[in-house]
Amino acid sequence: MADLGRAALVVSLGLSVYALVAGATAAITSRRRLATSARNALFCCFGSTLIAAVVLASALVRHDFSFTYVAQHTNRTLTTPYALSAFWGGQEGSLLLWLLVLTGYGSLAVALNRKLLRDLTVWVVPVLAGIGTFFAFVLVAVASPFGTQTAPLDGNGLTPSLQNPYMVAHPPMLYLGYVGLSIPFAFAAGAMLSGRTDERWIVATRRWTLAAWAFLGFGQLLGAHWAYVEVGWGGYYAWDPVENAALMPWLAATAFLHSVMIQERKGMLKVWNMVLVALAFELSVFGTFLTRSGVVNSIHSFSKSPIGSWFLAFVVISTVFSLALIMWRLPLLKARTKLESALSREATFLYNNLLLVALCLTVLWGVLFPIVTQVFKGETRTIGRPYYDFFLRVFGLPLLLLMGIGPLIAWRKASFRGLVKLLAWPIAVSILCGVALVLVGAGSSKPGLIAYTFSSFVLATIVLELVRGTRAVGSVFTLISRNRRRYGGYVVHAAIVLLAIGIAGSSAYGTSTRARLTPGQSVSVAGYTLSLRDVRRTQVPNATETRAVFDVGGRWHGTLASGDNQYIFPPEPSREVGIKTSWTRAEDLYVIADDVNVKTHVVFVQVLVKPLVNLIWVAGIVFLLGAGIALWPDAREQRRLVTRLAPAQA
Amino acid sequence: MSILLGLLLAAIAVLLVALPFLREPVTADDRLEAPDAEEDRRRGLLEDRDRALAALKELELDHRAGKIDDADYRELIGPQRREAAAALRALQRRYGNEMTAFETPDLPPEPTPPPDEGSPPTPVPVPEPYPPPDEATIPQE
Repeated sequence: MADLGRAALVVSLGLSVYALVAGATAAITSRRRLATSARNALFCCFGSTLIAAVVLASALVRHDFSFTYVAQHTNRTLTTPYALSAFWGGQEGSLLLWLLVLTGYGSLAVALNRKLLRDLTVWVVPVLAGIGTFFAFVLVAVASPFGTQTAPLDGNGLTPSLQNPYMVAHPPMLYLGYVGLSIPFAFAAGAMLSGRTDERWIVATRRWTLAAWAFLGFGQLLGAHWAYVEVGWGGYYAWDPVENAALMPWLAATAFLHSVMIQERKGMLKVWNMVLVALAFELSVFGTFLTRSGVVNSIHSFSKSPIGSWFLAFVVISTVFSLALIMWRLPLLKARTKLESALSREATFLYNNLLLVALCLTVLWGVLFPIVTQVFKGETRTIGRPYYDFFLRVFGLPLLLLMGIGPLIAWRKASFRGLVKLLAWPIAVSILCGVALVLVGAGSSKPGLIAYTFSSFVLATIVLELVRGTRAVGSVFTLISRNRRRYGGYVVHAAIVLLAIGIAGSSAYGTSTRARLTPGQSVSVAGYTLSLRDVRRTQVPNATETRAVFDVGGRWHGTLASGDNQYIFPPEPSREVGIKTSWTRAEDLYVIADDVNVKTHVVFVQVLVKPLVNLIWVAGIVFLLGAGIALWPDAREQRRLVTRLAPAQA
Repeated sequence: MSILLGLLLAAIAVLLVALPFLREPVTADDRLEAPDAEEDRRRGLLEDRDRALAALKELELDHRAGKIDDADYRELIGPQRREAAAALRALQRRYGNEMTAFETPDLPPEPTPPPDEGSPPTPVPVPEPYPPPDEATIPQE
């Protein structure tokens, strides 16, 4: 069957090259049949890639170790879901997933828009095919998942830390986000190539961008939860280069989602939007480059591989292509109106954009710094957490504040008097909240206090908006259903506020202590007392489990166990933490038994109490809800758009 | 077997890609249909109309909800209404009533009394953004 997979990938490569060349020729020479042929080639490319994916998935499920990839990433002890998750657990498989999602998304986007946006999709096909050609080439010539060997009795198995339910969902979710950003990029490039830079490309890709952004955001939260429960260092985000690789395109896409509203409303920021959509796409490919090349040290990155240089070349070529296109079409991207006032909705969107892009570029510099120092100084210097935390406060706190102010300001021009009147209630609420927090002792962390005060301000504005809007139209359901993007956006803002409260609470007000314990000894932290009861080692299929068992007293009574698993296939350790979540006290008791000695029964333990950390995971659900509201189709809007665009097909 | 399946896959792909040429081996018109200048102009006018009406709708909603006070509303509504009316007139001049009547909201009346005469305007009902054609009226100026 590996031959079929290889053949399918070769066919995919041939089809994507054909779609690129024939599509570009058809668009330039305006040939109808050739354009349809190129479009069919893109559809077929998805079909053949799907066949390749089915071949690999089937080999994984059947434990067919004659596939080198299957033998490297699975073994017979893995259950079917984990065996399938090895599809994206290795480099070659994840590249195949990239191509599959790209051609699937691309075919669907082109098929849905082929009638209404015929003049645009003619150019979108070769752009998507160009991206597909790169991935198909890498899969055929550099990193094929269909290498074969004499089948061993068993495989190496999946890295233990990846054997977690979150890892079944997190990587494909990120891929749906990363690859989804190719669609707005392809339509933006298509608009510039065709010289038709009106709003149709934005209308066509609005939901694609929103969906990709939602997948990317939710995927990161899934990854954060995985890190929290599985990696076992007590945190959820370490500013690891590969984590940052997913954050950067999300930040760029967030800026794009806001600034595109200004273009729709005012005809402004056309160049800026093109830059942002290209930046989001380039950062998504760059993220894949970081993960796959091994150029940076990360717990997520694969070992050094030959595909890094290919990815770098692709990032450089596609960046030059994007910039050249924007420069070429600058005359068509002139703004139709000007910013009328620095105190207006569009101005706050602009400030929001500048802060988001500044944060994005700051993170990018943090990621690139070790590479730059290695290239120019011959030594690798890394940038640590204080750098990122500092800039997160510098850019993140004003962003939080703007989230509250922006929705209240009128378009065009707002008066200072009117704004003060509008902000009176939210300001009063935030001041009261700040005072209350100081009184309960939360003033120990200034950034935490500011974050909470700003968060209460934003929540107050959101509630006020909902109350006022509901009074105006009669019911909250009518209000939201008539303005889905706006109120879906407010729900997403509420999710970001919950995220900010969770991050501030768990980092600024968390408690941590370390201790060396023998059975009978105890350690106290934040009202909890942990006594080491026992140390035990048990053998389970494919692993030896070592655990320190603690009796917990004080604010909660029960037992927690923490330690490590030593797996047989692959022979790797995995840290196992003990977590007790208390929803009533809104905190987690988190126990890390670092070094458990079964002979001496000595245990080195770290105990953390993390207030409000679970709001981060709740924020993920609220975020999905908000994105869902904004994504939900509005029949009236659809009718209006179809009417506006329909004569274009005549 | 796998090789045969691969060859079959390639053959199907070639067939599907060649389909447009197999269906129409000879054609009198192989040119892609592209919107002409008139089509672009029409689309531009419709975009202007939608943009202006959406802005008007939001302004009305914000005023009714109390987010924009009467003084600010009086200052903003004038230019916004003129923009919307200009977009509708441009469409009407070029394409007649058919184009403008479709999904055009009932525009709110001019605020009375005029801004410089003191008392605030009466908040108007928020229009359905795009009601069916038969419910629509176009402001005549």
